[in-house]
Amino acid sequence: MKHNLSRNVTLWMCLMWALLTISGLVWQPHNPHSVDLTGSFQLPSALHWLGTDHLGRDVASRLMIGAQTSLFAIFIVLCGSLVVGLIAGTIIAVAPSSIASFVRWLAQTTLAIPTLIMALFLAALIGPGLYSIALALIISAWAPYALSIAALVDRLRAEQFWRASLALGASPLNVVIRHLLPNTWPVIGALAGADAGRAVILVTSLGFLGLSADTGQPEWGAMIYEYRMFLFSAPHLVLAPVFTTALSALLLNIALDR
Amino acid sequence: MAMLTVTRIVTLTFLSWLAVVTVSFFVLRLVPGDPVDIYINQMNINASGDVKALYRAAWGLDRSVIQQYGIWLFGFLTLNWGDSFVLGKPVLSILSAGLRWSAAIGITGFALALITGFCLGYAAALRPRRIADKLSRALAVGGQSLPAFAVGLILLWVLAVKLQIIRPFSGGNVENLLLPILLVAFFSTGSISRITRAAFNEVAAAPYMRTAVAKGHSQASALWFHGRRHAVIVLMAGIAPDLAWIVGGTAVSEVVFAVPGLSERLIAAVTTRDYPVLQSYLAIIAFWIVVGLQLAGALRRHLDPRLREAL
Repeated sequence: MKHNLSRNVTLWMCLMWALLTISGLVWQPHNPHSVDLTGSFQLPSALHWLGTDHLGRDVASRLMIGAQTSLFAIFIVLCGSLVVGLIAGTIIAVAPSSIASFVRWLAQTTLAIPTLIMALFLAALIGPGLYSIALALIISAWAPYALSIAALVDRLRAEQFWRASLALGASPLNVVIRHLLPNTWPVIGALAGADAGRAVILVTSLGFLGLSADTGQPEWGAMIYEYRMFLFSAPHLVLAPVFTTALSALLLNIALDR
Repeated sequence: MAMLTVTRIVTLTFLSWLAVVTVSFFVLRLVPGDPVDIYINQMNINASGDVKALYRAAWGLDRSVIQQYGIWLFGFLTLNWGDSFVLGKPVLSILSAGLRWSAAIGITGFALALITGFCLGYAAALRPRRIADKLSRALAVGGQSLPAFAVGLILLWVLAVKLQIIRPFSGGNVENLLLPILLVAFFSTGSISRITRAAFNEVAAAPYMRTAVAKGHSQASALWFHGRRHAVIVLMAGIAPDLAWIVGGTAVSEVVFAVPGLSERLIAAVTTRDYPVLQSYLAIIAFWIVVGLQLAGALRRHLDPRLREAL
């Protein structure tokens, strides 16, 4: 009973968050770019929900428009690493052993690459932008999918229905789509939850390190970086984007990890 | 026999390090962006082709990439890491100054996470759903869903601004390193404790545990004496993501707490294509990860006789 209650609460919080993020893309209480030097460093109020920053810009509006980058990152990491992981996982399980063991080695090696350092290099080499963020996210996230899908295929291959459908003349692709994909969801769900959370964190971390997609556009990490010098004088400026990021990642973890 | 194994492991480690370093060297060169052009742009001078050629010759970029690779690799192995393009100072002195800080943060943080994570995992497996189990789960969820730099900033705010216990930027070495080490350890402890807990749980379900308890061991001592070896073996098998995290986590905590470590010059070096600095940095990181993985593997083989055949 208690478990159900806490589950409902988190579910409602997730829905609220999703609603706020998506509606925030089209509507914000104030113009996130409008500067008002007479009204800088205001504390949170009914007019400015989270106060204003050193240039008098509305922090809540900036957070709402900044969710764009995070949503994009979640989208990319889920689609991209699922597709790459599915292909690589099937290769590991089905291809001849020389190719399979190479792909497996590649996946295991990728696990040991520091994600943030990789993202940092890509962002600096290709130029900071959504492409390099997306690439870094996919490179760092595909390996666990590939390895667990390979293990899954290995298990499924021993099943009767798998061999039966192949014996009945179904093409391998057909078998993968009909029998493999539906079975991947329990495995993928937990991974996806963790990865969606990590995607938000990684994008924010890159922004914090000064490598956000577009410096003109408000972005959570860039906001934290911009406001961190006011940590001692106006802590609410820093804490707002920090808590937004942490709450988003936490809710994604809880919501998708079933 | 033991000598032979050691030689083999060292050779294997060196070869995988060489592979990583070679790939990263050539990938770095493939990426667009010419260090001379970037340097000249930054200096704001209107340079002719002659000046560019001079720079290129001085930086060794006029040779073929294969030659550059040979020169750099030989230099790196003989501790002659070349000069930074932008700073003009020897890379060895730039990086070794930073390496001291980074290694102190990374290795201490990693050791702290291993020890506390292992103990926490043991306690959590011993008494499921009690305080240690809950703590370990909370740490694991927190480690997965909180951004490292944000936790660092919050730590700073609570400890330095609100409670004023520490002076993070102006204190002594220990005071400066305390928060970065805690931050690095915080994010690894959770996952390590979960892996350890799962491994101890496997042992707790084994029939020989019942025998041990029947012989008069307490649950705690039976689990410890029969389970710790298995737990270490399992933990060492899943250590790769943590080894990688230590690198990223150290970099983040250096930025947040303004520690003059390895990553201080990293972003600048990447944007200016400062090849000597980047190559040596990557070689150091590769060394840490490759050696870490090999050591973990060696420890597993040492503890689990069944794995020895595989090598």
